Amino acid sequence: MKIDTKQFGTIDIEDGKVYTMPDGMPGFLSMKRFVIIEREDIWPFQCYQCLDDPGLSFFIMNPYLFKADYTVDMEQAAIEAGWEDDDPGDIKLYVIVNTSAGIPEKITANLIGPLVINTRRFEAVQLVLHNSPYSHQHLIFDAPARQNIVSA
Amino acid sequence: MLVLTRKVGEKLLVGDDITISVIEVNRGSVRIGVEAPRNVSVLRFEVYERIQEENLTASRAASATNIQQAATLWRTKGLAKEGKGGGK
Repeated sequence: MKIDTKQFGTIDIEDGKVYTMPDGMPGFLSMKRFVIIEREDIWPFQCYQCLDDPGLSFFIMNPYLFKADYTVDMEQAAIEAGWEDDDPGDIKLYVIVNTSAGIPEKITANLIGPLVINTRRFEAVQLVLHNSPYSHQHLIFDAPARQNIVSA
Repeated sequence: MLVLTRKVGEKLLVGDDITISVIEVNRGSVRIGVEAPRNVSVLRFEVYERIQEENLTASRAASATNIQQAATLWRTKGLAKEGKGGGK
């Protein structure tokens, strides 16, 4: 199907892979329908594009690519989302990245607000992790010793 | 906003199944207990605000150009080349 995007113009994406966020996302509570755009020119990032607003998109990434020990209580996440009985293999985790620092070396990832995507139900939620040792602005490229650790 | 005064040990009932208890009061702070069903999230407000603010900033800054630069930097550094798709 064809969709309009601010980032990439009008593009063709695979039919049917639309993720519904029942409660939207913090800051965007009325935005419910999203797709994940994979492109070679932006890998390892993907574009999380809102269908309700072509001007709204985020770049996301698999956090395990830069933080192998990233831990999220997926059982609690499943309960909060109403997915208790689902196969954990159907549930994928992404983090939203932030390029507002202006240079690629300073790109950060929000480790306390991961996106949890259910690939069987085609639903998604953004978790808000409380009591987490992680940062909402974790430097993807910097050495671990120099990370900002902000406790929630 | 509903504003109520409670003493230590007293409680509030929110809806049918959320109970808020005043556990302890010290100068400048109060210790609060919350009982709620497992599917209800309970957060310090500033944590939610932090996520909200980060979402707004990230969405405003998102551009194909700057993410392409970051992608190039990733490849230049020879970092993980695992297959596409989300986490574990």
